Amino acid sequence: MKRRKFIKTSAIAASAGIGMPYFMSSKTAFARSAAPMVDHVVLVLFAGGVRQQESVLQRYLADSQGETNIDGNILYNLFSGGAPSQKIVYGTDINGGVQGGQPIPKILSQSLESQGTTFAEVAYSQGGTGHFSGLNTLLTGNYNFVQGLKERPVNPTIFEYLRKYRSIPASKVWFVGNGIGNSVPLLNYSTHELFGADFGGNFLAPNITFGNPGENNIKNAKAYHPEEELGPIYEMQFFLDNVFQFNAGTLNGVSNTDDEKHDIKEFIKTTFIKKDSGTIAFPPVNDNGDLSTMGYACEVMKWFEPTLTVINMNSIDSCHSSFTSYLRNLHRCDHGVGHIWNYIQTQIPAMSGNTMVLIIPEHGRNLDPNPIIDGNNFKAFDHDSDPNSRRIFSMMAGPGIDANLVKGSESNPIGDASDALLTVADALGIKNEVISEGLIDGAAQSFFDQI
Amino acid sequence: MRRFLIMIITLSLFATSCKEDAYTYGIVDTDILPVNAVKSKQKTDKQYVSILYANLFQKALSSNRLVELERVIESLGDKRLARELIISSFMNDPAVILPSDPEMRDDIDQFVIDTYKRFYVRPPTEIEKEFFRDYINNDPNVTVEQVYFAFAISDEYMFY
Repeated sequence: MKRRKFIKTSAIAASAGIGMPYFMSSKTAFARSAAPMVDHVVLVLFAGGVRQQESVLQRYLADSQGETNIDGNILYNLFSGGAPSQKIVYGTDINGGVQGGQPIPKILSQSLESQGTTFAEVAYSQGGTGHFSGLNTLLTGNYNFVQGLKERPVNPTIFEYLRKYRSIPASKVWFVGNGIGNSVPLLNYSTHELFGADFGGNFLAPNITFGNPGENNIKNAKAYHPEEELGPIYEMQFFLDNVFQFNAGTLNGVSNTDDEKHDIKEFIKTTFIKKDSGTIAFPPVNDNGDLSTMGYACEVMKWFEPTLTVINMNSIDSCHSSFTSYLRNLHRCDHGVGHIWNYIQTQIPAMSGNTMVLIIPEHGRNLDPNPIIDGNNFKAFDHDSDPNSRRIFSMMAGPGIDANLVKGSESNPIGDASDALLTVADALGIKNEVISEGLIDGAAQSFFDQI
Repeated sequence: MRRFLIMIITLSLFATSCKEDAYTYGIVDTDILPVNAVKSKQKTDKQYVSILYANLFQKALSSNRLVELERVIESLGDKRLARELIISSFMNDPAVILPSDPEMRDDIDQFVIDTYKRFYVRPPTEIEKEFFRDYINNDPNVTVEQVYFAFAISDEYMFY
């Protein structure tokens, strides 16, 4: 090496080392950021355990109840295809008629399948098919074999990557959960030493916050003036905390700034008022917990215009004991997703036309039924890691995403559950940073790279 | 040679000179810790709301309400925000038991001592008393509610 070249190279290397941000590992510091594809991503965790047969394959009762001629599509906001014509039990009740006999009208004029790209056969390739494992995999891009139940993820979540690498405030990153069971509230940030609560997303379980517990206990909360009343409170608290030797940091969960906290309090207060006046953006049919969760998620998106909104559902899991209930809830989840996509495009100007939606179940369900028979004489299904419960689908739509494209089939699976995180990261321009951290599944790829 | 001998004699005088006696007083070394150092156990959400309710209403919380309050805290990712909402809701309840603002200002020192005992189960140190005495004296708009609120969201109140 010539002396001049050596000196030049050394100088560049030294200056790069000095300029490296202190919080980044050397691997990450050299990762190159890409431009985001969209300004907003909505990740719908179509969770609860969905069989391919009743979803993407549109087999209705044909592959579950021995009714080989009764097939059809009950998710017609998601997929293109005709609805079943017989034994309709998945809709709303008809007075004096069959329970569930009235299918819910379609919301989207064009299915999301025709608007975007569908991965028809995706693998949940590793780990057990449990809800927490599945959700954890989707949100961390890693099957986390050392992960305990009832514990926060051991690897960083998409919320943390996003906040860390794009310096996004907590109030722009939301995880709207269907409830507080199954450790769902633990999924908004990990225990990873380089990430954690400081980079976590805001969690909200609206059916609790705005349900009876919230109505009885926080609806009446005083709205203090942020400077005149809260200012002295925080000053006194600052003194008290300085005297105390422990820092309750992680006890406080996600850290919103005082301004953000004030904004969230205003949102909560306004949402209670909207609830009382019947103006929450619930889907046209709103008769289960997932649908009301989606209505409140619309309110969150309208108020905060988040960069990332993750919405979790779970009602489908009633399939353990009732196949009829499973079909009804599947149909409602489709209705809810159609409502959300329509609401974003028509009611949230800041998100319309620059939002991507990614829909993916956390895992599938078994091929063979369990012994439970419901009121319609339908057999129920569990999910205990059989090959059928490792089969899922995924679809995405939004600006720049190929329309009406289907990738993969039963004989040619494309994609994995661990790809969801990297796909969101790709859309929001932090794919390289995430890969460089080396904390996701080694085989994970963005769905965009598999088209 | 003579000079060498003088140097050796001088050095030997130093070497054999008196040594200071070492005194032992029978006192055991003790680490001095802050008054709140014994609080190292974190309250659960359930413990937090039970104790908060008892502090503000001077009575026990019903089990149904306890479960509801715990669920409210779980339903929000920002726990401090959740606690602030609960405290401000309690403060809006007519049954809350607070000293009046004139009572506070009549005897600030006693108010500070009572508040520390009520929330922290310990007396204040001199510096703590002085801080609150100055703070309340210097700002005529500070209320009992605000002082109580600050204690209820402080780090020390999360521990026992």
